[in-house]
Amino acid sequence: MNVRIRNTALAGDRLRIVGEHPLPVGDAPAILILAMFVLFVLSVPKYDLAGVIAFAAFPLLLAISSGIPAGALLKRIAAVSPFVLFMAAGNLMLDRDPACTVAGFTVTGGMISGAVIVSKTIVTLSALLSLISCIPFHRFGAALRSLGVPGVFVTQLLLVYRYSILLAEEAGMMQKARDLRSFRGRGTGPVVTARLIGSLLLRTTARAERIYMAMDARGFRERLDEGDPRALSLSELPLLTGAFLLFLTVRYFF
Amino acid sequence: MHMADALLSPVIGGTFWAVSAGLISWSARRVTDESDSSKTVLMGVLGSFVFAAQMINFTIPGTGSSGHIGGGLLLAVLLGPWRAFITLASVLVIQALFFADGGLLALGCNIFNMAFFPAFVAWPFIYRPVAGEGRSPVRLAAGCVSAATAGLLMGALSVVIQTTLSGISDLPLHTFTLFMLPVHAVIGIVEGVLTWGVLAMVSKTDPSLLSGAGTKSKRRGVATAILVASLAIGGLLSWFASPLPDGLEWAISKVAGAKELRPSPEPVHAYLSSLQQRIAPLPDYGFRARPSSGNREYAGTTFSGIVGSLLLLGLAGSAGLLMRRHRSKDERR
Repeated sequence: MNVRIRNTALAGDRLRIVGEHPLPVGDAPAILILAMFVLFVLSVPKYDLAGVIAFAAFPLLLAISSGIPAGALLKRIAAVSPFVLFMAAGNLMLDRDPACTVAGFTVTGGMISGAVIVSKTIVTLSALLSLISCIPFHRFGAALRSLGVPGVFVTQLLLVYRYSILLAEEAGMMQKARDLRSFRGRGTGPVVTARLIGSLLLRTTARAERIYMAMDARGFRERLDEGDPRALSLSELPLLTGAFLLFLTVRYFF
Repeated sequence: MHMADALLSPVIGGTFWAVSAGLISWSARRVTDESDSSKTVLMGVLGSFVFAAQMINFTIPGTGSSGHIGGGLLLAVLLGPWRAFITLASVLVIQALFFADGGLLALGCNIFNMAFFPAFVAWPFIYRPVAGEGRSPVRLAAGCVSAATAGLLMGALSVVIQTTLSGISDLPLHTFTLFMLPVHAVIGIVEGVLTWGVLAMVSKTDPSLLSGAGTKSKRRGVATAILVASLAIGGLLSWFASPLPDGLEWAISKVAGAKELRPSPEPVHAYLSSLQQRIAPLPDYGFRARPSSGNREYAGTTFSGIVGSLLLLGLAGSAGLLMRRHRSKDERR
């Protein structure tokens, strides 16, 4: 079920607000600021809930200014969080030392550290989704190139993104055809599914050959993006330093 | 099996980021050296295939639940280790950035756990020796099931070790291991059966696809074996390390009468020592002690901290609204 949500999301993502991201810097520095932010959030100690809440200001700013629907954002985060919830529940069960009492209710260390784990997940993932959702994929590839990511890897990312939409549709139709012919779940086991996936694989490789011939005819030579990547400019350095100092201030004071 | 940001410390997350980035760079160099653009397209389309194949669910017999293929071993068999690693890493990057599966810092761990083990360990050291060229159906089945299971178990064990080293979760190492390994052993067997089914069909229909992986040189195999052995020794055998003093400690105890020398009272030494205790991720080769429950003076400081944080959230929200209005005005113009 989870996977189905993912792939329909690829086919026409409801979280994609392609345009300009709200940070006043280019794509590559924006990704660096995001990485800095994640590192600062994760450096918050395991019992410091206030520290994590303070850092929620950044994703809140991003989400509101870019106009991303909060419901879709939270739904996406909830879909990928069962493992985190399990680990948070582990803390809840194992650390029962009382930390403080609020209106007669004893708050244990596990409650606080579990809440910190869940909050860190929400804060970091909402910042990630809010920013990345605004960057068109080809520009994201160019940003990675300017950050020194190997060209082969960037080309690979662009190809996977481009053809996932096509193949997801095909896989969806195959699954629907199988389910329509199935009675009481017969024929939906691993053996028949393996044949179905094998058939999809053969179609995929045949498609890859056709795509390659078409791309080769257009002069494709290992790279999809054109031109040399733009290096980070010196003018972006003060903004990066400013972001670092801002996160440092929040980390220090909360 | 996606690792999450919230369970990682910056040191562990950063270390695995560096390791995975190095592996991507190394694999990219190998792929570039081969200079075969037809395979580059095949890699891209097979990466999309993994996404698409994960849509096709199957019923797990006797459980009432459903699952889907992971595709790690399948890609390693079809593309060889370097290309499979890059393809799997690209799928994981898209999953992390667009579907929030994992997280930005956890990406390094996830690439290591879910791409390194199938591509660089399970395929060359288990699948190839057992399955050979894949002509014998029994050997192919045995190779797929054993390699997929081992790859998944190594990844799951790696998740346990990374989580424990980060010190965020309170789950003890042995409890977490006992929880993760049996579950992933079952998932691995199902993954192996599915991979075998796909490869058996492909070997009958288009056997040339299975020769795409190529062979590895002996020297590279030895290097990977040494790497795997180092990880195994460092990660697992160190649990059985002797608690007795080492040679230097034994010698000091004989001379000074104590296992460790007394620290110097100099202020510089004291400052550096406290700084080391504060920044060392694993002081004295162990995890940091948890603050004792009796000394947690939370009530006052936590309350004021949360109020301050909420104020900051209010400010950020208002600033976001102002920026949004400003942007929409610009767009209207």
